[in-house]
Amino acid sequence: MDAEELALFRAAVTRATEAQRGEALEAALEDLGWSDALEADPASAVSVLFECQGAAHATSFALDRVLAGALGARRDPATLEAVVLPRLREHGAPGHLDGDRCTVHGLGTAAMARAGRVLVVAQGTAGSGHVMAHLDAGTLELRAVHGLDPDLGLVEVTGAFEAGAADPLPESDGWDGAVALGQLALGHELVGAARTMLDLARLHALGRIQFGRPIATFQAVRHRLAESLVAVESAAGLLAAAWEDPSPATAAMAKGFAGRSARTVAKHAQQVLAGVGFTTEHPLHEFVRRTLVLDQLLGAGSVLTKELGREVLRSGSLPAALPL
Amino acid sequence: MEFAAFKTAVDAWLDAQAGELAPDYAGIGSLDEQMLQLRKVFRLAYDAGFMRMGWPERVGGLGGSNLLRAYLGEALVARDVVEPGIYSMPEVLVPTLIDFAPPELAADMVPRLLSGAENWCQGFSEPGTGSNLGSLACRAEHTDAGWLVNGQKVWTSLAQYATRCVLLTRTGTPESAHRGITALFVDMDTPGITVRPIGAMHGAAEFCEVFYDDVLVPHDRLLGEVNGGWSIAMDLLPYERSTALWFRAAYMQRRLERLVAIAPEGALDPGALGEAVQLLSAFRARSRHTGRRLAAGEKIGAETSVDKVLLATAEQAVFELVAEGLGTEVLLGDDPHSRRWRAEYLYSRAASIYGGSGEIQRNIIARRLLDLGDER
Repeated sequence: MDAEELALFRAAVTRATEAQRGEALEAALEDLGWSDALEADPASAVSVLFECQGAAHATSFALDRVLAGALGARRDPATLEAVVLPRLREHGAPGHLDGDRCTVHGLGTAAMARAGRVLVVAQGTAGSGHVMAHLDAGTLELRAVHGLDPDLGLVEVTGAFEAGAADPLPESDGWDGAVALGQLALGHELVGAARTMLDLARLHALGRIQFGRPIATFQAVRHRLAESLVAVESAAGLLAAAWEDPSPATAAMAKGFAGRSARTVAKHAQQVLAGVGFTTEHPLHEFVRRTLVLDQLLGAGSVLTKELGREVLRSGSLPAALPL
Repeated sequence: MEFAAFKTAVDAWLDAQAGELAPDYAGIGSLDEQMLQLRKVFRLAYDAGFMRMGWPERVGGLGGSNLLRAYLGEALVARDVVEPGIYSMPEVLVPTLIDFAPPELAADMVPRLLSGAENWCQGFSEPGTGSNLGSLACRAEHTDAGWLVNGQKVWTSLAQYATRCVLLTRTGTPESAHRGITALFVDMDTPGITVRPIGAMHGAAEFCEVFYDDVLVPHDRLLGEVNGGWSIAMDLLPYERSTALWFRAAYMQRRLERLVAIAPEGALDPGALGEAVQLLSAFRARSRHTGRRLAAGEKIGAETSVDKVLLATAEQAVFELVAEGLGTEVLLGDDPHSRRWRAEYLYSRAASIYGGSGEIQRNIIARRLLDLGDER
């Protein structure tokens, strides 16, 4: 997309994510051509939608679309295919292959409960190849998760199926590549949520009068907000750079950093919004909840960061420096 | 020359000249040795034409974008040929000459700096004027013979080596604040200038006190307009936070690589190491974005305060790891390499102080980028 097309696309996606949720958002995104954009220009489609979705506290089925597409699943507009995600904190395949049985323990997005088909990736012993199965809805057991962020519509997915139903997954567009795209998507969603939290805190600081002046005039408050902007912009910059070479390593680094940055913003915004932000009458709590969950989906920030450090120690070298 | 061709040419030259370019000391060297090395590298790179790339032809350059300068500095730093701080001298001072000096003065002077014939310094801060530049007091009075300067500067980096100084002076009333400041280009051998280097925690006396007693500066050494010095300072500061910071990214990358290579087994915490690598990568992405905006002719300004905060955070994270992982070297070592690690660790403490402290950067971000209004 050129700059003008991108601006129009962003405006349309912003309108859709601000007005719609769930299935209605799914339909709105289909109407505005998001699925086509995902195939033609994944960087723009993913970064724009997920940042808007994070900013608007919206839920869609887009993460499933991104993962299914990356796993090479043929797109069928008539049937929603949900993808089983790893359990919290993890990013390995959610299915475990053991002889002729494949057991599954993972999570699903809001798409899972509405899906006609379910896509599961499984692995035998660590390091062996991945397999993928398309299962009919109902094969696996779903348990609605309310938890910290009920609006997200997560489900816990458990069960088992015959290994014969699964086919080998070509490693070229395999699980790790799909996870990388999913991590970039979640990274952008975290940045979107962080931008909104900063915005909410900023508006409050400008409007809230204490000691006869807006609290935005107090340096302690200003510096929290400034620190938040540094966190947001540096996470957004690392994500944008990761799209130049969206490898598992760059995506994991960008997602891990985005998670930590968003949590930093959540902490500062919560403090600046103080009592008001602690009430359910103010929207901040929804973004704080969402941030914590997104940080732990498809690899928790803390896990990805430690893994990065271990890999540097193991290989004795840093990731290739971004070229000028 | 386009960027890819420049890069290839620089790399080939660095390979061919590796022996001649290398410092003739181990570790970090003394400040005298570093300055000699710096001038040697400037001279070699200038003679090869590379040091002139990225600067306009009217000041002796060969044209091309700032990204050419960014790559040359990155490549020199990544090969441990120069120290990034002192190498940044042209980045900080040449844009001022280009934008504000009389054209013939700029054309005469800039090649002297780029060719390594001279070192320059920047006289901004004063004992009573650190972050609050608008309060500076060093006076310049207009006389028939020239500007008569009286006062004191401090934190003037490398003044003891400098031939010239971009000096900010008070020409308005003391209350005129940022409206009454004038910039002069001063020869450091003018009678009445006394330089006193100040010992610093990291072991190199690179900051100085500079005293000006009845120092006469010719009228044709005026930079910009009388009482227009504030806009010069404002114009310069974003340069200080663009290409110059990019060099530090290359430096941090190199030192972190070295740390990982030599730290004893188990001495580095994987989580802290992962965070440092993330911060360094995020800083590099940010700084490159700024460099590209500059290359595209965009006006850069307050956004570079984000770059500076991120740099300080990354550099301190990297050298916290150094202090952890190379405790023996940093705390106990007396060989040249240990002294280098120790000096670098200590210097990283200043990353959130020099060039506009972390607090000032956050004030700028709050007022200019978040539009939070004035502080009172």
